[in-house]
Amino acid sequence: MDELEQLYQTTYTAVVRFLYRKVWDAERAEDLAQEVFVRALAHRPEKPRAWVFAVAANLARDEARAAVRRKRHLTLLKADPVAQPTIEPAADTMVEHDERMAAVQEALSALTPRDREILLLWDAGMSYPEIAGQTGLALGAVGTTLARARRRLVEAHDRQHATKGGHAAHS
Amino acid sequence: MRHIPEEELHAYLDQGLSRSQCVEIESHLAACPACQSERDSIAALRDRTTALLAKLAPPRGFPPAFETLQRREQVQASAHRRRVQIAAWAASLVVAVGLGWTANYLTMKPQSPVLHPVSSPSVSSVPSSPISNTSAAPPTALRQPRKSQREAGQRPPTAKAVSVAAVDSLPPAVPAPTLELTSVHIPRPDPELELDGMWRTLSWDGAQAEAGDQVPHIDGLPVVQVQLQTVEQGKQPLMVVAQQLSSGEVIRTIEGPMGDVSHLLAGHTTANPDSTPQSGAGVTRSDSTRLPQAPGRTDRTMAMQRGDRMLVITGALPSDSLLAMIRRLNAEMRSK
Repeated sequence: MDELEQLYQTTYTAVVRFLYRKVWDAERAEDLAQEVFVRALAHRPEKPRAWVFAVAANLARDEARAAVRRKRHLTLLKADPVAQPTIEPAADTMVEHDERMAAVQEALSALTPRDREILLLWDAGMSYPEIAGQTGLALGAVGTTLARARRRLVEAHDRQHATKGGHAAHS
Repeated sequence: MRHIPEEELHAYLDQGLSRSQCVEIESHLAACPACQSERDSIAALRDRTTALLAKLAPPRGFPPAFETLQRREQVQASAHRRRVQIAAWAASLVVAVGLGWTANYLTMKPQSPVLHPVSSPSVSSVPSSPISNTSAAPPTALRQPRKSQREAGQRPPTAKAVSVAAVDSLPPAVPAPTLELTSVHIPRPDPELELDGMWRTLSWDGAQAEAGDQVPHIDGLPVVQVQLQTVEQGKQPLMVVAQQLSSGEVIRTIEGPMGDVSHLLAGHTTANPDSTPQSGAGVTRSDSTRLPQAPGRTDRTMAMQRGDRMLVITGALPSDSLLAMIRRLNAEMRSK
């Protein structure tokens, strides 16, 4: 089997997840992940795994910039603030799932971009040398950054629970 | 006794340490209950983080087959190659045709007979062109325009001195469909006109030795063959330069007296089954000089006329790039 094909089979889901945590749109994350692998096929990089995540990170960054531009444009277009339509939840379980997800999303956004990036790369299955290679961080600093990022994520998440009066179940 | 720092325990649990570092940490842990407890709490924090992040997963989609991505890549790659090839061709063509050929025309020896009076109102601005690195334009070419202007003053002007047109598989008797300012008339080949001269095949160096800077070509493309025919003593010969695109396609640049060039093109088009009966029979004595055309392929021709001379580029070129090219060339010539 082609090395890239093997990588695709084992890493595609991780790449989609990695992208999803940056663009927050499942469909878009899949589109971008496929674009990443199409580019990998064209470039045939030496270290494909690291390359794939580096390109995914770049695409997500471009996407975020484009989203900011779109948002600005929409703000300009919107003359009067219109009441947001309330979406009726389909089921209580859905609501609970969404709430939990939103809580983690918020906690993640409380991290510095650097800490967040390294935590997401680690969670996507990258090794310390791969993370160091992609982010330019010293190998010895990866552990330090991850230690801080993990601590802050959990702290930020727990703080939300505390302020919401512990409404949501402890996760 | 030094306790293990927090980040080292993270790295240890993440398998981010070397074997020797791991051995060191493990031997310390075996003897230090404080570090053991710290390790356990870090392991719990790690698990907690992983569990939190697991909530941030998109709904599971179905990854497309790897072959689908391979096909996508192939389509994109061929489109990219085409774009690069066209861009390279276009860039070199603008330089070679826009300036090189114009300059070459101006440096033609005064004794070269001309069939028709020529006026070149645009030539005076040739030296002002910012392009100066073309190999086809010798420095002397840039000093010529004043003289040309004087000559032009003595001659009745033609309707348009510079014209560029696109022609699809140039039929011998049909005027070129023109674009923008252009009105190139491709004259019907004169059946009486026999091109008796023998074609000679030369190397690039040989052609340059013989015709100097006046060998028509597109900068940056490898030259496959140069063919030359003396039309008349003391007159600039009819030249056909074959060059290869990166795709392997061969395109030809032809320069010569207008009648001879259109004759040659007429001979070329009679190779098409649907075209009119051959009227350019006398174009060549040797089959090798007949412009070849692969079956089922439509060659496109781009013609540029200046006075009695004509420059033609012909080959299997995509029509969109050709049209884009002509627009650029027109803009280029207008700006001069």
